[in-house]
Amino acid sequence: MDRTPRTLLLAAAAGLALSACAQRSGQLYRWGGYDAALYSHYKKPQERQEFVERLKVVILEAEQGGEKVPPGCYAEYGYALLEEGQHRAAISYFQKERDLWPESRAFMEKMIRNAERLEGRGSGASAKGPAAALEGK
Amino acid sequence: MARHASLAPAALLLALAAGCAPAQKKPDYAKFLAAQPRAILIVPVVNKSVNVDAPDYFLSTIPVPVAERGYYVFPVNMVKRVLEDDGLADAALVHGAEPQKLAALFGADAVLYVTVERWDAKYIVVDTQVTVEFTYVLKDGKTGESLWSARRSAVHTASQGSGQGGLAGLIAKAVAAAVAKAAPNYMPLARQANAAALEYPGPGFPSGPYRPEYQQDL
Repeated sequence: MDRTPRTLLLAAAAGLALSACAQRSGQLYRWGGYDAALYSHYKKPQERQEFVERLKVVILEAEQGGEKVPPGCYAEYGYALLEEGQHRAAISYFQKERDLWPESRAFMEKMIRNAERLEGRGSGASAKGPAAALEGK
Repeated sequence: MARHASLAPAALLLALAAGCAPAQKKPDYAKFLAAQPRAILIVPVVNKSVNVDAPDYFLSTIPVPVAERGYYVFPVNMVKRVLEDDGLADAALVHGAEPQKLAALFGADAVLYVTVERWDAKYIVVDTQVTVEFTYVLKDGKTGESLWSARRSAVHTASQGSGQGGLAGLIAKAVAAAVAKAAPNYMPLARQANAAALEYPGPGFPSGPYRPEYQQDL
């Protein structure tokens, strides 16, 4: 007897989930402000902090929503870290891209080796930028 | 005489059929489908417009619609920076390079080349007409052959303030046109052109491996 309300609840939850999908009108991914972040970055390259923060938000929103982070987003964020000399953190995001999107494997492994070489050389560690701050380093 | 008369309707039908043909022309997807691309490398954009910012602004609009067709899209900004570090800062150089070499560099199946043909705002009487136009070519990363191409434009005419008549109306229109010309908003037009170019069925990409309709919508 008491199973019925639970079933109903589940059905309602499923319905909600479905309607949430429908609202994105057949879109595969939750892009957040990825394209807007790129646009602002090209329009105002000096506002780097904003760019990096927006990339991080795209990743967090997708992860927290239990969805696949859109193609390229982990890598784009990892590259921002690399540019600031945060080689270890960059590598971890290149690995995430590689593991989530097998098509990126060759490129990501190249970038990981590149970052490891830079780290071995000990270059850039002093360059602390906005992405580094977000990573709490 | 009678024979000629009976030919006339047939000729008319043929002419009609020929008239219809261009409208129904479906792109030839044979090469595209044979290549089965999964991972698409979008390289920096060549600019033939007079606006120096156009190629980068355009670049921000293209990864989302291509990925939404179900393909893996390499991170466009990172790709651009890596190419710059490799001495390929000039998009024309990148477009001139062998697709096979570019594809091998990133592990891509296909390379998408976009050229900005137009990105401008013009006064036409008291209106401002904003125009964007792009050519898109997808090349096979293994053979270098063209798999797909499209050319799309989008136009917007800013003519607000037309409610009033007479001189006041004309002035309102001229002001609106001047504002539109000072800061024309190209981005919705670029997105509109991309959507039209990639739409399927239509001229665009058949569904890629990440779409549920993959290989079911041919």
